[in-house]
Amino acid sequence: MSDKVTISRLATGVPGLDQVLGGGLPEFSFNLIMGPPGSGKTTLAHQIMFALATPKRPALFFSVFGEPPLKMLRYQQQFTFFDLGKVNESIRYVNLSEDVATGNYDQVLARITQEIESSSPALVFIDSFRSAILETWHQSKGTVRLQQFIQQLGLLLSGWQATTFLVGEYLSASDPSPVFTVADGLLLLDQKIYRNSMVRQMQVLKMRGQATRPGMHTFRITAAGIDVFPAAVVLDSLDPGAASGSPRGEVRLSMGVPRLDEMLGGGLPSGYSLLVAGPSGSGKTILATAFLSEGVRRGEPGIIVAFEQTPSQSWVHTLDDMVRSGKIGLINTRTLDLSMDEIVQQLIKLIQKMKATRVVIDSLSGFELAVAPAFREDFRESLFRMITVLSGLGVTVLLTSELEDRYIDLRFSPYGSAFLTDAIIVQRYIEVESRLKRVIAVVKVRASAHSTEIRQFEINADGIVIGDPVLDYEGILGGRPTRTPVSGTVKRGEP
Amino acid sequence: MSTPDSRRAAIRRTLKQRSGGAPGAAAVAEATIGTWLQVAERLAPVIGLQGVNVLFNRALHLTSTAFPWLTTAGERGDSAVQLAGIKARLADHEPEAAAEASYTLLVTFTELLGTLIGEPLTGRLLDPVWEFPPAEPVKEATS
Repeated sequence: MSDKVTISRLATGVPGLDQVLGGGLPEFSFNLIMGPPGSGKTTLAHQIMFALATPKRPALFFSVFGEPPLKMLRYQQQFTFFDLGKVNESIRYVNLSEDVATGNYDQVLARITQEIESSSPALVFIDSFRSAILETWHQSKGTVRLQQFIQQLGLLLSGWQATTFLVGEYLSASDPSPVFTVADGLLLLDQKIYRNSMVRQMQVLKMRGQATRPGMHTFRITAAGIDVFPAAVVLDSLDPGAASGSPRGEVRLSMGVPRLDEMLGGGLPSGYSLLVAGPSGSGKTILATAFLSEGVRRGEPGIIVAFEQTPSQSWVHTLDDMVRSGKIGLINTRTLDLSMDEIVQQLIKLIQKMKATRVVIDSLSGFELAVAPAFREDFRESLFRMITVLSGLGVTVLLTSELEDRYIDLRFSPYGSAFLTDAIIVQRYIEVESRLKRVIAVVKVRASAHSTEIRQFEINADGIVIGDPVLDYEGILGGRPTRTPVSGTVKRGEP
Repeated sequence: MSTPDSRRAAIRRTLKQRSGGAPGAAAVAEATIGTWLQVAERLAPVIGLQGVNVLFNRALHLTSTAFPWLTTAGERGDSAVQLAGIKARLADHEPEAAAEASYTLLVTFTELLGTLIGEPLTGRLLDPVWEFPPAEPVKEATS
């Protein structure tokens, strides 16, 4: 038993934010929401306020300077979370600009005290305080007074059993702001513009009493308000294979391509990630489609994350049909300002909803294009996190990767991501008798025996047909095989 | 929740009730300023006194196209002086004209507010003013 105080945590109502905060917002905490103009501070404050405010837990919103309240009310109403029914019932707006304009901070403090005393709010928002700081500097160079002001404010607010938020413009870390010390929580919002894309990010610099999710978390502002995509972290506690119901690798999944299972040493171990690398047109998407259809046939739901235009070919119809009938989940995106975390969150939600065990990402090249330029530098790290998170969920992942067909070196992926995956299948073109032929080989299957043969394959209306090993040629990976003197020609295998 | 139509009727009713049965222009002026002060009192905490004044001046400007006598140059800036001037000018006119100008001013103001923050929120903030006898000010209402 324990007599220690328990801090109850409030659900902020902002999707993903509670996870980032480490389980919600501690009750009676004093928080700072900071960021440059346009980063979404006021919106975040409003979204939290509308989610939390009830007649029993009323909120006071003090607008100080900055955004004129008329405009704020006008624009905040555009968000679906803005519930008119709560205005003047559980949410009250108080404008302090006249008090601040006097430059007398005792008066501002007195006014805030008086308002808080008269309505005993459970939630207090003060928007925004950077302007107040500037004002003080201009008026009297009175930083000491300002420190006192904010410290007193912090004290006052904590004494009133209220969860409070100071919204302010960005203060640099070198800014010796006393607020940083006083505050229990520091939330930093930012927007990064890189090339022609804009990315919003959020960071919890401090949240007393709980373990927050480290790092920058991307978020979007939509009509529904802010949507945070917590950076994917690999949780040790995740029970591997929880979703599939069997430990990782114990069960082998059929690929849906005759003879490929046998090349993989009996199918792809469940929970593995498989990289299918090959040049354009070599049949990667077809292989991925076969993998998903086989899953559907066996009652293993799948999801495809598609980044590429889908031409109207027969196997794509198969894919479309499966998506339309709800047997396969589809995440299709063409935006160019995506973050990996956003995709991962969507994917995790869909995996849990569909109880999916097979996931295809087609292709990494398209994915890289869709990811905002600001994130491309970290693409490999993010990819690693994503694969680990997915594998933690027990799903088997197939990633396709466009491979420039270079015959002078043997590479499996342009991202150095080959080592991240548990298995690799490579497809290549070779020239035989002045024709382009396709070959396929299993390069690796972690902790499993597998075929090392290079086999020829064809694509027909039914999909991929794998032939016999190319025994009588050598130098295939160099693209220009020469016949070994032994015997015979390249034969197609009997199915 | 009021609609623009029902609010217009409510504003007319409020002004009438406040200025008494068969009002003189002075009573109309009194009722106008009294009602306006209630509107301002409810709005100022939310959008700030400055916000209220900005909107009021715009409403006054719009109203003055129909009632040019309502405004005088030089009063802008000090709302107390401005209100005293409007009150005096209303009292100087025929009761019917004064009542119509007063009604137009308040309607213009609420509709202007409605275009900025939406009808529902406008209703939510100002409807208590049109309830007779006047509702308690906001502060007490939520405490």
